Amino acid sequence: MEVNKADKILNSLNGLKKAEAPDFFYTRLMGRMQHEMEPVKRPFFQLRPLLVTSALVLLLVVNVFSVMQLNKPSGKIKTRPIEKSATIESFAEAYNLNTTSVYE
Amino acid sequence: MTEEELLFGLRNKEEAAFKELVSLYQDRVFNTALGFLQNQSDAEDISQEVFIQVYRSIHQFKEESLLSTWVYRITTTKCLDHLRSRKRKKRFGFITSLFGEDNKPVYEPQDFNHPGVLQENKEDASQLFKLVNELPENQRKAFILNKVEELSYKEIAEILQTSEAAVDSLLQRAKQNLREKINKLPP
Repeated sequence: MEVNKADKILNSLNGLKKAEAPDFFYTRLMGRMQHEMEPVKRPFFQLRPLLVTSALVLLLVVNVFSVMQLNKPSGKIKTRPIEKSATIESFAEAYNLNTTSVYE
Repeated sequence: MTEEELLFGLRNKEEAAFKELVSLYQDRVFNTALGFLQNQSDAEDISQEVFIQVYRSIHQFKEESLLSTWVYRITTTKCLDHLRSRKRKKRFGFITSLFGEDNKPVYEPQDFNHPGVLQENKEDASQLFKLVNELPENQRKAFILNKVEELSYKEIAEILQTSEAAVDSLLQRAKQNLREKINKLPP
């Protein structure tokens, strides 16, 4: 009985009529090909993955460099504002650009 | 148009040649895809992909086999790739549903009725197609190409790039496996 059932199921594809492609298959295929082969118009800001990755790496490098510079215990950085203000004062003096108001 | 002329036209991207190719092979490709995918819409989709692939990579065809063999090879590869991706999506869908992120219904195969099956065999054929899906890939390829597309052992051997004896062995094992699965079915 079991053997008959197995044979019956196994032989159920005997006399199978082959399926045919649906109507308008070629037209639909051409439509899809035209759609797929159209050049994709990207907005200027939509960049390629390579460019995005490079930009991110560059940003990361700049950030790391900045953090390293900020945390650097350097005497130069501390003295710089004093030097800077001294330079400004001497510059103002040399050109007679004192900050005193004319109304004083 | 001879096969040589067809290939020449395809390599030169002539539309007439491409139209001839589609008209020659569309039914064979669709019927094979339907046997593997058991879904009309997926079969049409994959059949279109097969012709797009042929159009794009015709320069890679070295004429070591017949054009039909090459087209069948692309069809079986595309179908199995599609089935693998369907399986992956199903697995991923199950995992995400466990975490409650997405409860959309995952693709569940419906009972498939091949349009060419005789009326009195419809129920048995539907059951057989379901079991064919559980066969190992090579046995499935051999079984579908032989039973659904009615290709000879020689043609199947060329498509699978193996010997006729190996095809015979694949088909014997496929039938044996199917028989065992049928015997395990509830009465």
